[in-house]
Order: sequence, then C-alpha cells, then structure tokens
Amino acid sequence: MNSESSRGAKSIAAIKAALLYSYPLLLVLLAWEVAGYLELVRPLFLPDVGTVLSQFWTLLLSGEIVGPLVVSLLRAFAGLALAVIVGVVAALTMARSKWLRWALDPLISFAFPAPKIAFVPIFILWFGIGNTSKILLVAFTCVLPMLVATYHGATGVSQQTIWSAKAMGTSESKLLTRIIFPASLPYIFGGVRVTVPVALITAFTAEMIAGGGGLGGALMYAQRFFQTPTVFVYILVMLITGFVFDHFMLRLRSRWIPWQDDTDAA
Amino acid sequence: MFRYLPLMLFVALWQAVVDLGVVDRHFLPSFTQTVAALWELMQSGEIAWNLWVTTYRSLGGLAIGSLLGIVLGLLMATSLAADRFFAPLVATTYSLPKSSLIPLFILWFGVGDVTAMLTVVLACLLPVIVGTYQGVKAVPAITLWSARAMGTPAHVMLRRILLPAAMRSILTGVRLALGFCYVLTISAEMIAAKAGIGKLIFFYGESGSYPYMFGGLLAIMVVAYASDRLLIAGMDYLLRWDDSVHASAEHE
Repeated sequence: MNSESSRGAKSIAAIKAALLYSYPLLLVLLAWEVAGYLELVRPLFLPDVGTVLSQFWTLLLSGEIVGPLVVSLLRAFAGLALAVIVGVVAALTMARSKWLRWALDPLISFAFPAPKIAFVPIFILWFGIGNTSKILLVAFTCVLPMLVATYHGATGVSQQTIWSAKAMGTSESKLLTRIIFPASLPYIFGGVRVTVPVALITAFTAEMIAGGGGLGGALMYAQRFFQTPTVFVYILVMLITGFVFDHFMLRLRSRWIPWQDDTDAA
Repeated sequence: MFRYLPLMLFVALWQAVVDLGVVDRHFLPSFTQTVAALWELMQSGEIAWNLWVTTYRSLGGLAIGSLLGIVLGLLMATSLAADRFFAPLVATTYSLPKSSLIPLFILWFGVGDVTAMLTVVLACLLPVIVGTYQGVKAVPAITLWSARAMGTPAHVMLRRILLPAAMRSILTGVRLALGFCYVLTISAEMIAAKAGIGKLIFFYGESGSYPYMFGGLLAIMVVAYASDRLLIAGMDYLLRWDDSVHASAEHE
C-alpha cells in the first residue's frame, strides 16, 4: 500500500519533471501552431505541425524516410570506419616514428582547419557522385580528428612504462599492440564520439550539394519542388538521427569506459 | 625551415606525379598550373571579391553567434529560470546538422547573405553557449561568495570575475565555432549562391576548368588556416595572465 502510493508519487514527480523540462519545446510548438492558425505566415513557408506530422507518417509508410536514411547512414559509417582505421594506424605509427612525425606534422596542421566540404567538387571529379565519393569525403573529413585524438593517447603513455617494457625485452610490435594501443583506446573512443556527428553532417551535406540520393538528396529534392512539409520532415529525421547516435555513444562510453567523467556531455 | 620541408616535398611530389604523367592532368592539374590559375583569378579581382564575401559571411556569423552565445551562456549559468528555458532547446538542437536548415532558409530568405549567415550564427551559437556555461559554472563558489560579501555590484562581478574566469572555456567554444563557420558558409554557397568562394569552386568544377577549381580551394584553405592561427594568437594574448595556459604549454 505504502510502496504503491510512493510509486504513484514518484511517477507524478517524473511527469512533473518531464513537463518542467519540455515546456520550452512545447511553447515553441505552440508558437508555431498559433502562427499558422492566425495566418501570420503562408503555409508554403511554414506548414502547421499537424501537416508535418501527417506527412511524416505518409513518408514513413511509403519508405521514403527509411530508404534514404539507410543510404546516408551506410555512407556516413563506411566513411567513419575508414577514417578510424587509417587515423589510428597513422597515429600509432607517428607516435613511434620520428621521421613520420616530421613528415606529416606540417601537412596535418595545414589541413586540419581546412573546410573539407569545399572538396566536394574535387571528389565528384575523382570519384563521381555515387557512394564512393561520399564515403571518401566523410573519411577525409573524419580522419584528422581521429588521428589527433589517437596520437594524444599514444604519446600520453609514460616514458617509464615504455622503458620498463623495453628493458624486459618487449619487441617494438608487441609494444604497440600490448601497451600503446590499449592505452590509447579511451582516446580513440573519444575521437569516435566526436566524429560520429561530423560523419553524419558531412554525408548529409555532401548529398545536399552533389545529389546522388540519401537524406540530403531527398531534402534538396523536396525543397526544389516547394514541398515544404517534406522539407520539415527530413530536417526532423536528421535531428532525431543525430540525437539518437549521440546518446548511443554516451551510453556506450559509460558502459565501456565508466571511469571517464561526463563533464563534456552537455 | 626544416619544419616546413615536408610541405615543400609534398608540393614537389604533386608537381612530379602530374608532370611525369603518373596522374592525368585532367584529373589533377599540377601545382604550377593551380598557382597560375589562382594568379589569374587574383588579377581579375575575382578571387578577392569571392573570398571577401565568404569571409564576412563566416566571420560575421561567427562574431554574432559568439556574442549571442556568451550572453545566453551567462544568463543560463546565472539564472535558474533562463537555464530551465534554454537548456532543453539547446539539448534538442545540438545534434541537428545545421546545414539541413540551408534549404529551408533559402525558401524563407532567398539565396544570399541572410541564409548563409543565419546558418553560421546558429551553428556557432551552441559551442559558445556550452563553453560559456561550463566556464561560469566552474567558478569556485567561495570566490563568488567572497565577492558578494564585499558588496561587489553585479556588473563588476561580470566584468572582473565571471568573464575572466570563464574566458578560457569561452574561447575554446569560439575556436570550435570557427571550424564550423567556414564549412557552413561554403556549404550554403555550394547549394545555392550568387557569390562566394564555395560558389566559385563549384562553378569551375561544373564547367570543367579544374585549375581554377583547385586554385579557389587552395585560396580558401590558406584563409581558413590563417584565421585559425590568428584566433590562437588572440587566445594566447587574452589568456596571457592565465597560469594554466603556460603550465600546459610547458607540459607539452
């Protein structure tokens, strides 16, 4: 009896907390709806919430959300996987080789702040407008942050540890696979977490610029034909996708590397 | 000099693979061709004009977004009501790819400055809000209590305590935002624009004048690199009093 009522109180408190948290979002939705109701803006520019939701349902049933979403996700994650492999291997090698460090350091520091999206026309020229050019553009955008993150981890191993291992006769390859790589793992994970949204954004944006299907392509197609409700649906899908993956990565981190604190979550 | 040797070697390699016919000139113009094309664009004033358009859109958007971000971050960190109002909005829009708003903004505002800059402002806003918020929240409560106990008025608190203490964190947010601002301007310009370096690169790519396309790309890479260096120099200057900067510099 007692536990029952306290459970009831708890769920009421939870509902209250949820309402308190989401009231600004509800206000925005209300303002959006009122603007449409009072005909302050033409529906061509801002369709009302109901129209967008029903369009969402229509597109979901017809497969016009899932299809492009899968295409975009495959591109983003294929590119990201490529970037992780290349970035980690390059960073670990750089951490152990003075010459490679000397050779790559100025190139990386010049290329790092460059807006990679400006390479879209070049990737179209080299690899066409299909999957290859998008996957490689995503990889190109993500590889430098991955490299830098891994390099920080790999060079963070204390010199004493390396000396001790060497004194005990550890070979260079064992040193890499048994000591430096495991020590860099949290940094590699941190790098992946930062680059997941970058990969998604790059895939979407490249599709918006160059076409070739995917969510970005579908969004531009809808905009060109002034199908504003569809435009809103695709923006919403991109938002949800980003949100879901960000939270997924956070959960993964708290499971795999629970000793890292959550201060940068925000 | 020795440090920059790899860059020169890279350029030499680029020149060699094209001149020796390893790579088809139609796929990759040589370095000298690219520089010659860039030089031509410079003389006609085409590159200067388009770079200027892209730069004021990017940095203008960055400036507006950063100012707004600092104000909102300060508000959220100091007022519970503001925090409760803005935090859910920030959390919801944080994971939205801002470039997805470009088609919508084109519909609303047409092609041009407003669309590009508004996207940049929105993209720059969030990292600066987060940076400011975390920076202000990290100010030790004892410092705040002491200042209040001594009767420090709010505007002095802001100028002498909160902002300087949060400066490092704010600037980290601004540097993150600098990375976004060129990307979004160029994305907007490539999707639809009348001017800007993104438009220029895309136009020459479409028309098959590849040396000019590479020339434009080289120009924007140099500008983005210079902006980043300039911001770092500015950060070092603004944080010259901060011991932790020197400590971390020595550590590396």
